[in-house]
Amino acid sequence: MRRPMAASAPNWLHVDTEDEVRPQLTTLSSCMTLSDVQCDGYVRLLAADISLDDAAEEPSATLKVFRGLKLKQEQPLPGIPTAIESLYIDESEPKTPVIAVAIAESVLFYRHLKPYFKYTIPAQDSEDLELEVWRKLPVMKQDAHPALLESLQNIDHAKLSRKSQRLLQLSEEEREAFITTHRDSAVGRGGSIVAMCCLKRISSDANPPSHLVLATDSGSVLILEPQGFNLVFEGKTCADETAVPSLISVQGTYETDFCIVVATRNGGVYLLRKTQSEGQEIFKLGTPLTGLLLLPIDQTIIASTMDNRYLCYSKRGKLLYQVPLQELPVCILPLPMTHLGLTLVAIALKGGVVKFYLQRYLVDEFALSETVDAMLYGRMGMEDHVLTLVTQSGDIVVKILRRVSRFDPKPGDLGNKRSGSDHSSIVDASILDKPKKSSIFVEQAAREKQQAKATYGSFQVELWRLRLTAARATIDAINSSESTISGDLTHAPVKLSAEVCGSGPAFRLYLTVQNLSTFKMASNLVVLLHADRRHYTVPQTLARLPSVLPGVPLRVDFEVVAVLDPMDKLPPASLSPDNSQIRVMLMKAGQAKPLIAAAVSMPQSEAAF
Amino acid sequence: MGMLHNLADLIKIKKDKMTILVLGLNNSGKSSIINHFKKSSEQTSIVVPTVGFMVEQFYSMAGVSIKAIDMSGATRYRNLWEHQLKNCHGIIYVIDSSDRMRFVVVKDELDLVLQHPDLCNRIVPILFYGNKSDMEDSLSSVKIAAALRLENIKEKPWHICSSNAISGEGLGEGVQWLIQQMRFAMLNNKDAAKARSKHSK
Repeated sequence: MRRPMAASAPNWLHVDTEDEVRPQLTTLSSCMTLSDVQCDGYVRLLAADISLDDAAEEPSATLKVFRGLKLKQEQPLPGIPTAIESLYIDESEPKTPVIAVAIAESVLFYRHLKPYFKYTIPAQDSEDLELEVWRKLPVMKQDAHPALLESLQNIDHAKLSRKSQRLLQLSEEEREAFITTHRDSAVGRGGSIVAMCCLKRISSDANPPSHLVLATDSGSVLILEPQGFNLVFEGKTCADETAVPSLISVQGTYETDFCIVVATRNGGVYLLRKTQSEGQEIFKLGTPLTGLLLLPIDQTIIASTMDNRYLCYSKRGKLLYQVPLQELPVCILPLPMTHLGLTLVAIALKGGVVKFYLQRYLVDEFALSETVDAMLYGRMGMEDHVLTLVTQSGDIVVKILRRVSRFDPKPGDLGNKRSGSDHSSIVDASILDKPKKSSIFVEQAAREKQQAKATYGSFQVELWRLRLTAARATIDAINSSESTISGDLTHAPVKLSAEVCGSGPAFRLYLTVQNLSTFKMASNLVVLLHADRRHYTVPQTLARLPSVLPGVPLRVDFEVVAVLDPMDKLPPASLSPDNSQIRVMLMKAGQAKPLIAAAVSMPQSEAAF
Repeated sequence: MGMLHNLADLIKIKKDKMTILVLGLNNSGKSSIINHFKKSSEQTSIVVPTVGFMVEQFYSMAGVSIKAIDMSGATRYRNLWEHQLKNCHGIIYVIDSSDRMRFVVVKDELDLVLQHPDLCNRIVPILFYGNKSDMEDSLSSVKIAAALRLENIKEKPWHICSSNAISGEGLGEGVQWLIQQMRFAMLNNKDAAKARSKHSK
């Protein structure tokens, strides 16, 4: 194994705790979070310590709060949590974080580390057969029980209620007592929460209020709004009933747009968007996944698999790159480094090596004495970039990012890692990440090279055609006088503006005629209105205007009444926003061609009462 | 004659301004310490995180005029420290003695400062304040010195004392040491400069 690169100046500062009693912790990445629980600006580490000792009867968990590396508080949890999140639920000051702990089918909310609310996801209908069995079990004799249990076993295990699942696990002797104690409890089937994530509602300030994204083992993905505890989004991972989510990752904000990536236990990865409630399959792997991330910046999906690979897919399911790993990846973690503008991916391998990748390039690594089980990165205490690692035997290792650390892919290192022909291309790619040329682009470039003359010719033809079309349109516009300023050079230039008042069906159309010349008088002007008779009634369509002096606007008004059906008081069906127009023509007496021809679009008429 | 010179130099120093750089991580109490040195009429009751840096003038601090540059300790402003190293005569390095987790960061930033080319060849006294001595988790100055391995600083005079910026405990003692050391350093530098000019003649 290679030693950590540049051991003299490591990027991570190791926090020493040699003289103190080291706290022990057995946990998972999802059961750790950082939170300012005391609201004093000092971010503490919260983790569920899961004890799976054989000596203890039932596995139990405690919520532990560490200030720095010192255990400050602990609180027993009523079950084994699947995930812990710290979130803000409202904008009220002072901002108090709420700790959400997902246990089985409910989410427990803690405020100031005191129980605050318990939310249980709605139960689904259970199988009729199961209900029947539970109805019979307490009343029938013990001899008949094995047959009933047999029928329970025939039902898909995932579709059974928790009560029945437990019953099937018990030994013969224990069953009787279990049945008598649980005979009256409901046979509900609430899917257990298998993964939980935070989704910011808006991306305004540092601690925006968040929603919780929950994935259940029945395949549904729910978004819980933690202020009124309502479900604001309900989706399915996929159409297939048996797909059980195992990992989720969320990006985006609830108000604008978000993406939820769900990995199932079978190795399928599905994408849910805000607009669609059923996930679409992005890719499917033959081996189970150990980690799944949706990266915020380039919106790629990172997965680590049991066959020692680290894969990156686009949202459309295209494999962008894959990196073989020497050992089994145990957990992966995104490290957003906002001050550097990049996101690293930390991968903890079996054996204790932790590698840091910037896209496909290894930028840093270090080795611990044993396998890392859980990792957490973020602001802890007063420091922004703290990586907390929990090893298999329960040691907590804290590493702080050096301020002067820079993560650049090393071209030489990359070259050594890749063998053979593609050596030079990878070095180039590391300098400047150009987009890959698609086959269409290459074909097009080749065609242009072969038929340069024809290509140039046809381009020129199209260019001239475009110019001709534009010129024609200009001439048309001038000829039809379709503008608000008269273009006839022999007369004084006149400007016409229109204004429609009223809400209907009777409107008043105000026309303002202005002489733009400085010395010429505009005389003998006539205004003519033209409207579709089926849509508008204009009592007076013609008005002779007095002479318009330069600079003095002349205002005339006309009455326009929209035609409404006398029966239902609605405008005729043929009226559409496109043809609800009145043409206004400004003419000079004795001339056939109008000076100005304008179309005044009329507003929608209100019904007359 | 020599004694007269020394005396004249001492008087001269009184006219000179001394620049003290106040360094330390965010939330270690730099601004609070500075605040305590101010006149009671100028003191503020609420100390907010410093942005960039603040310059404070003290005209009669233990008999000398002092300019104190209170640098921000926030991660994104720590790169400003090195720009002030060239013109400083003394450094106050404030350490939050209760924040055991970040001693490693304190040490790293201290090493960066000490290795900086503007500082490594000059004699600049460094005063360490083990601040927040009133906190329950706070470590003694001896323990801090051991944790930061201050004994490795050979070429610069240094001193550590625990302090409490809120009550003012321990602050005066440290500053007196620092001013004395700065005087010595200035005298030495002047003597060295004189010797050099003589040699060049």
